Amino acid sequence: MTKVSDKWVLVIDDMEGMRSQLRMSLSSSGFAKLHVVSTIKEALERISLHQYDVILCDYMLGDSTDGQQFLEYLRTRDLIHRNTIFVMITAEQSYERVVTASECAPDDYLLKPFTAGQFNTRLEKLLDRQDYFTAIDRASDKKNWAQVIVECDKLLVAKDKYFVDLCKIKGAALIRDKRVAQAAALYREIIALRPLAWAKLGLARAQVLLNEKEEAVRLAREILDETPQFMAAYDFLSRLMAESGDKKAALEVLQSAGRVSPGTMSRIREVSTLAISTGQHEIAEKLMRATLQKHKHSPVRQADDFTVLSRALMHQGKTDEALAVVKDAQKTFTDPHSSVLLGATESRVHRSAGNEMLALAALDKVMQVGELGHLPADAVMAMADACFALNREEDAIRLLRHAVQNHHEDTAIKGKVHDVLVAAGKDTAEASAMIANSTSEVVLLNNDGVKKAQAGQLNEAIQLLCEASDSLPNNLQILGNAALVMALDLLRNGQTPEKLAKCLARRESLVIKSPHNPKLEQIDGVLKQLKP
Amino acid sequence: MNDLYTAVVHDVKNQLAELALRLGKRKDAQHEMAMVMGAARRLSEMLLVYQDAENLLQVNTDSVSPEDFLAILTAEYREMFPALTIIVVTDRAPACAFFDDALVRLALSNALHNACRHARTAICVSAYQDEGMLVFSIVDDGEGFSEDVLAAQGRTPTASRGTGTGLGLHLAHKIALRHRLNACHGTIRLSNEPGGCFRMFLP
Repeated sequence: MTKVSDKWVLVIDDMEGMRSQLRMSLSSSGFAKLHVVSTIKEALERISLHQYDVILCDYMLGDSTDGQQFLEYLRTRDLIHRNTIFVMITAEQSYERVVTASECAPDDYLLKPFTAGQFNTRLEKLLDRQDYFTAIDRASDKKNWAQVIVECDKLLVAKDKYFVDLCKIKGAALIRDKRVAQAAALYREIIALRPLAWAKLGLARAQVLLNEKEEAVRLAREILDETPQFMAAYDFLSRLMAESGDKKAALEVLQSAGRVSPGTMSRIREVSTLAISTGQHEIAEKLMRATLQKHKHSPVRQADDFTVLSRALMHQGKTDEALAVVKDAQKTFTDPHSSVLLGATESRVHRSAGNEMLALAALDKVMQVGELGHLPADAVMAMADACFALNREEDAIRLLRHAVQNHHEDTAIKGKVHDVLVAAGKDTAEASAMIANSTSEVVLLNNDGVKKAQAGQLNEAIQLLCEASDSLPNNLQILGNAALVMALDLLRNGQTPEKLAKCLARRESLVIKSPHNPKLEQIDGVLKQLKP
Repeated sequence: MNDLYTAVVHDVKNQLAELALRLGKRKDAQHEMAMVMGAARRLSEMLLVYQDAENLLQVNTDSVSPEDFLAILTAEYREMFPALTIIVVTDRAPACAFFDDALVRLALSNALHNACRHARTAICVSAYQDEGMLVFSIVDDGEGFSEDVLAAQGRTPTASRGTGTGLGLHLAHKIALRHRLNACHGTIRLSNEPGGCFRMFLP
């Protein structure tokens, strides 16, 4: 095998016998840069120190979790490069039968038992593939979808054995790059070649974005009829229904998914949240409790999982248990974000149990956090929920308004704000009005800043937009405009090192939050014109 | 029953996995290796036959390179049967084909193992297109299939050539059948040319 001595390989297997055999087998096949570990925890430590070319992971990893959960964890947090080869070692093909989202699928499955020869041949093919997709994967890591498409197009001409794979990647990139009509056309072409399930799902996703929701639902149901093991299709259909307000139907879809496969954390979280919002708290309790127990020693658990369980218990009147769950979580999750989530939940539970003093104390502690802007939306919403419970309506509305304005283009977050308002007793119309109101307020603020800039009142514009951005750091539109106006000011009114530094700092913030934001082109266009 | 079965199979396969790697270190244990792989395959086949009977057998069709597919399939058997010549012919195969990689690999693995056990010196494994179908063919230079097996064509489990349960061929037939495109479904054909010739047709 060519060049394997250069490749870094990480092996994860919880059985000592397999570990030593794999180590010997891989070494004698020429893999000189090899690490072999027995737990996910060790694997994560290694991954944080090193980028691996190949990861071999046993599906069964003892009672803490499994290889698929681990892979999802790695891919959703971008802990490994797109180009890294992930091979799942399984005893039974049934794991393969359940199709997961393509970005989180292993690059290959290796069925036990296998010989060194089998393994080497497989790996050779995978390494060839890794090589072929290098440029595409690099663009993917940078989330530069336009570049991904360009690289795919270069290779598609050859119509070689990777043709369909290239189409799959290109389709997903077209959707991310908001070229939805092109994506739909591509998926239709693939379906004409062969009605593959993932191509149909890609088309359904495009249809949603093209406002053809009914078509999308019909197509999703068709996919599930033909391939009931296609988990991503359940997730898609459920989300569609939840977004159109039919939470009960959404929950039913996910429950049928659960009958096919117990599912990963993200689906379990979704089911629990839907169950709570449809009043089926026992379902949420049962599921979340079992899941938290199952993953007791795994890093996939988050503070929010405990708040979900706690709320499910609280709604059933089991306030002592609910409190115990929060206290337990507070021992493990001590970062600011988690502290707010858990503190807000603690307050909520105390209130539910009638302990108003304790509820107020817990809430006050949380409210002292200060800088709302950098708190994730879910923490802010939890605080608002706790405020509503203690009749601190003004505080609650202020928090929710902030959450909306900090993410005024995010429909998912606005949907959750809607849920919090409705749960607090507001009717749907009132809730929608409040959200629309908050949105237009921030849009007007933005437009005001832009108008002032256009009228030459650059200093006023800068002050307005920067203040707004400081308060709403996740609002990309305002951040972008602030940086742009500052750049214009530098160009027209002369630059000083301080002004330049401030402008660049805003620009940097934007780059971090949104690496391919269209505003960056404008900003950089202006900055280029500055005299050095 | 399924949970108990699965737990036992995992345990057995884990042990077989370790055994296979240990045997790999010794350069003279090909026969033993073939026994280990054969035993493991029996377990997989049994589970799939059960799933098929319960209507739980799912086919995941996706794009596969027939060339790569056969390279991986034959690598295992070249290792276990070094005395045989196994040639792979894919020049008339399409660059991309559409089928369930794992299921078809299991089906062909069984057929290839049979061929290896009965071949005199050589086996030819090929992929090509015929009548709008993708064909995988495995031909050996042995004595050929028995009349019973030829008559059954895998539609019922028929013990072949004195050994085995015939389950593997039957499963291959089921796997082919479950590959569908519109009204067309897959099939297997067994013949003697004069050595055993196993062919799987996939739509």
